Amino acid sequence: MTETNGKLRYVPTTCPYCGVGCGLNLVVNDGKLVGVEPLKRSPVNEGKLCPKGATCWEFVQSPDRLTKPLIKKNGKFEEATWDEAYDLIASKFKETYEKYGPKSLGFQVSCRTPNEECYIMQKLARVAFKTNNIDNCARICHGPSVAGLSLSFGSGAATNPFEDVLNADVIFLIGSNPIEAHPLAGRRLVQAKKAGKKIIVCDPRYTPTARLADEYVRYNPSTNIALINSIMYWIIQENLHDAEFIEKRTTGFEDLKKTVENYADVESITGVPTERVKEIARIYAGAKNAVVIYCLGITELTTGTDNVRSLGNLSMLTGNVGRPGTGVNPLRGQNNVQGACDMGAYPNVFSGYQKCEDDATRKRMEELWGVTGLEKEYGVTLTEQITQCGDPIRAMYIFALNPVVSYPDSNHVMRSLEKLDFLVVQDIFMTETAKYADVILPGASFAEKDGTFTSGERRINRIRKAVETPGDAREDWQIFVDLAHKLGLAGFDFNSPEDIWNDVRRVTPSMSGISYARMEKPESVHWPCPAEDHPGTPILHREKFSSADGLGHFFGLEHRPPAEVADAEYPFTLMTGRLLFHYHTRTQTDRAKLLHHEVPAGFVQINTDDAARMNIRNGEKIKLTSRRGEVETLAKVTDQVAPGVLMMTMHFGDAAANKLTNTALDPLSKMPELKHSAVKVEKITGVQ
Amino acid sequence: MAAKGDMVYAWTTSPDIAKVAECGGAVTGLLKFALENKIVDAVLAVKKGVDLYDAVPTIITDPAEIGQTAGSLHCGTLLISKLVKKYLDGAGDMRIGVTVKGCDAMGLYELAKRNQVNLDNLLLIGVNCGGSVSPVSARKMIREKFGVDPDSVVKEEIDKGQFIIVTKDGQHKGISMDELEDEGFGRRSNCRRCKMKVPRQADLACGNWGVIGDKAGKATFVEVCSEKGANLLDAAVKAGAVATEPANPKGIEIRGKVENAMLKLGDKWRARYFEGLGEGKERLEKIMEDTSRCIKCYACIENCPICYCVDCSTKKTYLVPPGELPVPFMFHLIRFAHISDSCVNCGQCEENCPMEIANSLYMHSLQTDMERMFGHTPGVNMDLPILALVEEKAERERLSATGSDQIFNVFE
Ligand SMILES: Cc1cc2nc3c(=O)[nH]c(=O)nc-3n(C[C@H](O)[C@H](O)[C@H](O)COP(=O)(O)OP(=O)(O)OC[C@H]3O[C@@H](n4cnc5c(N)ncnc54)[C@H](O)[C@@H]3O)c2cc1C
Ligand code: SF4
Ligand code: SF4
Ligand code: SF4
Ligand code: SF4
Repeated sequence: MTETNGKLRYVPTTCPYCGVGCGLNLVVNDGKLVGVEPLKRSPVNEGKLCPKGATCWEFVQSPDRLTKPLIKKNGKFEEATWDEAYDLIASKFKETYEKYGPKSLGFQVSCRTPNEECYIMQKLARVAFKTNNIDNCARICHGPSVAGLSLSFGSGAATNPFEDVLNADVIFLIGSNPIEAHPLAGRRLVQAKKAGKKIIVCDPRYTPTARLADEYVRYNPSTNIALINSIMYWIIQENLHDAEFIEKRTTGFEDLKKTVENYADVESITGVPTERVKEIARIYAGAKNAVVIYCLGITELTTGTDNVRSLGNLSMLTGNVGRPGTGVNPLRGQNNVQGACDMGAYPNVFSGYQKCEDDATRKRMEELWGVTGLEKEYGVTLTEQITQCGDPIRAMYIFALNPVVSYPDSNHVMRSLEKLDFLVVQDIFMTETAKYADVILPGASFAEKDGTFTSGERRINRIRKAVETPGDAREDWQIFVDLAHKLGLAGFDFNSPEDIWNDVRRVTPSMSGISYARMEKPESVHWPCPAEDHPGTPILHREKFSSADGLGHFFGLEHRPPAEVADAEYPFTLMTGRLLFHYHTRTQTDRAKLLHHEVPAGFVQINTDDAARMNIRNGEKIKLTSRRGEVETLAKVTDQVAPGVLMMTMHFGDAAANKLTNTALDPLSKMPELKHSAVKVEKITGVQ
Repeated sequence: MAAKGDMVYAWTTSPDIAKVAECGGAVTGLLKFALENKIVDAVLAVKKGVDLYDAVPTIITDPAEIGQTAGSLHCGTLLISKLVKKYLDGAGDMRIGVTVKGCDAMGLYELAKRNQVNLDNLLLIGVNCGGSVSPVSARKMIREKFGVDPDSVVKEEIDKGQFIIVTKDGQHKGISMDELEDEGFGRRSNCRRCKMKVPRQADLACGNWGVIGDKAGKATFVEVCSEKGANLLDAAVKAGAVATEPANPKGIEIRGKVENAMLKLGDKWRARYFEGLGEGKERLEKIMEDTSRCIKCYACIENCPICYCVDCSTKKTYLVPPGELPVPFMFHLIRFAHISDSCVNCGQCEENCPMEIANSLYMHSLQTDMERMFGHTPGVNMDLPILALVEEKAERERLSATGSDQIFNVFE
């Protein structure tokens, strides 16, 4: 129970935005949130916050919050009681399942939500409906990281903690702009630079992070594999690779060596002169310890998984894995993108990446959960679920996601959702997606419930309830417990998020040592942690890799162009990205006065020369068209992007980049190609 | 009868408080007395959070709970002043007893000048302050320099130029601050430069310096700094809540010497830091380069005890175009212009900056220059600052409309 009176109560918790996992204090006066104050005791951020973290309390008490369950009747939402809503959901899901089987249901969970809720939702889907059609939005950010790093190293997670870059001599960033997207990880770069470490930034855009670099390499969008292969070619050519490490700890080197032989000169693909590639190869390979940091510029492509594996190749080639100051680290986009995957809200694994296809694992899970008949087959992924709406998926449960804005090709999403027989949306706001629902359940914000988020460095951070939910809104874990009871399921007698966490520990060997008590200290614990007396594992793959054979796996990978490249009709390459001041579809950030002040509307960055040629002025409204749709947005004329390249923010529904983006998928991870599509630019006549 | 300027040894008569207090427990004893006797409605002090590295400000209204706040947390780098404005309505309709370090007291005075807190409603119990250490840095220092697991430390203190820790198994270990600070550990950079060691603008200034003889470690040295302070002490003594005896003259002398030595040390650090900044254009270039990393988190404004404007000029789009990175330098110029005459060197703008920008160093260097030029010292009394906030456009309009030549009207 939270106290409702008293002033200046500090509730230490974790930022609900990005995967850095900054600690902060929510300040509560008389049961109301009144601000955020620094939590200087947190080892992650030492009290420092970015503009998003600093204002993260404001949306919680927004008057727009959903406060009552809503049921759509004759096309209009009407307030309902929780019992009515639960009964309707239980009966519809049961009916659909009985009539059409497990493939007719889809479950989608946001990686914004705490571990406990991701876990209980996937448990419910698997136990009640024997379906693996459960996925989370890591699919559209770091699915390729999970897939790629699993193939290379045997574990899909970041290898080293954020602070560890201070132990590196060289920091190699590619497709990552942490100063804007992960500012408190960006801070570590600033510290590293002050300590004289060398920073290499490869990015098609001259970003605020690139400004920090000692070596900035601009390359053509989506030519990552070619660039990295070429760097590796020169490392091998100049004999700078770590033969001993390769010999003892890896397999597949010959395959790699053979493949990269064709990549001595890639200037025609990447736009980077060979001499420059050689320089970068020497700096990276010459370092005693070098770390690779990447982000969505690598993953959100049809080559996503291969891009990630290429970075695995690069680090193993130079023996830069398994020590302080080394490794390959994806920066996680959302606060709990690591955790949502860890919890098994994923179509082919239970919590802790225990594979559904493995008979022994399924048997063990059946025993632990007290059920039979758990599904073996790979379930349907997030965006494929959308495509399957209507056939075979007839009923869907979307928890805290806004696919209409955030998935690629918004028009397609809207058309698909309309085909469902029954849609449940559980959220805190009436989103663009919620409008398509048959039942809307009002959930709780991060400030209104207990739980945990797992940050990008595998540190499991506590969130703590500071205030009560508004109106009749309920804590989300409670909603799932209630529903499970309506469905008559056993194994859902949880009275608190801690109870649920203890169920996670019971079934997940790699996390069984991490109790709530150990998470009280802000240092908390990095998983894997198999026992109460185990210290946790900040650095992975120390002695051997996590793969079945204990070895790191090289892969010879060829450059492939993106699914859709610029041509005469659509001459511009469109990239998309996140802004410092906003988060995803802005349902939270735009409700913070400050963030709205900084960036009230979407825009597209266009190169100065292109703009001059087309007579486009800074701030002018222009039209972008792709094969899928068109949007109007404001031009921001800048040299941050190269000629022929556009960069558009992802946050704005009225100028939605995702009306333009491509749904082509990475074959291995099913990641849609959000970061690369071909568009044309037009002046809007009559507008000055 | 106590009077302004008196110096006494004081201690709590409550064995419960004595057990948990830093030295004599006079501070906690007096605060409890003030609460019990409705001299204040609430106490704002600092308690231990998850461990002794975690200093959490808290409001106490039940005298029985005051014990939570006893003891000094040297990793408590927080600033109390702004909390009073932001969350307690500037003590507008509540009388609050507050424990204040030098920077806390200075910040409250600056806020009071700007009508943001009501000093009349505040009872300020000052604590001498030799400096504070950021918690994460302290833990690292204890692990690396002391070779001790920071979680096994049960007490830390700064005494006789040393940072001293006591571990669970009773071991004491001390290392000189000079040595620690030369290696980048120790007190925050603003604390090194700080010269507000005995906060005499509070109602009472309490500390352990100068407590000698059989009272060493068992009494608090209290200097009476105002009539309000004198009255509180008298009443508490009369009621038997605290006991006092005149301070030992030798102790007073020692205290004076230590204070002077600390002031000299502050001067030494100022010279070191300010000289490193260079002069004129060189300094400006350094500042422009360092601040160009800014990501506009506004922490340097939100946490600054001088900033209070509802319509902050940094948000005027004709001055600072929003949403731009690198952030236009005007953003920082506005802060320099509005704050530098009154900066109290509390360090918050630097400690909370996510981009490691030495904000308080820049502002403090400007402030000391201005102090030299205009003779105004911020934070010590209610004298108005040299510059006052003027929103130029609005101000020019007002001047032309009223024909007034009175520019500074914001303190009315
Ligand atoms: C950071 C720090 C440095 C100090 N350095 C010196 C020094 O160099 N020389 C000297 O003579 N005295 C110093 N003191 C004061 C001294 O430690 C005692 O607080 C003082 O002697 C009163 O003793 P007491 O037993 O009466 O206090 P107690 O009854 O134990 O009460 C202590 C009070 O201090 C408050 N407090 C604790 N930590 C903080 C903090 N970080 N910020 C604000 N308030 C806090 C508590 O809430 C409580 O109200 C320092 C205090 C602090 C907090
Ligand atoms: S860096 Fe990320 S976790 Fe930290 S405050 Fe900003 S958004 Fe929150
Ligand atoms: S600035 Fe001065 S008064 Fe404030 S904590 Fe540092 S040394 Fe103490
Ligand atoms: S400018 Fe910085 S150091 Fe000066 S008073 Fe403000 S926050 Fe404190
Ligand atoms: S605290 Fe630092 S990053 Fe934040 S606004 Fe101030 S200078 Fe910029």
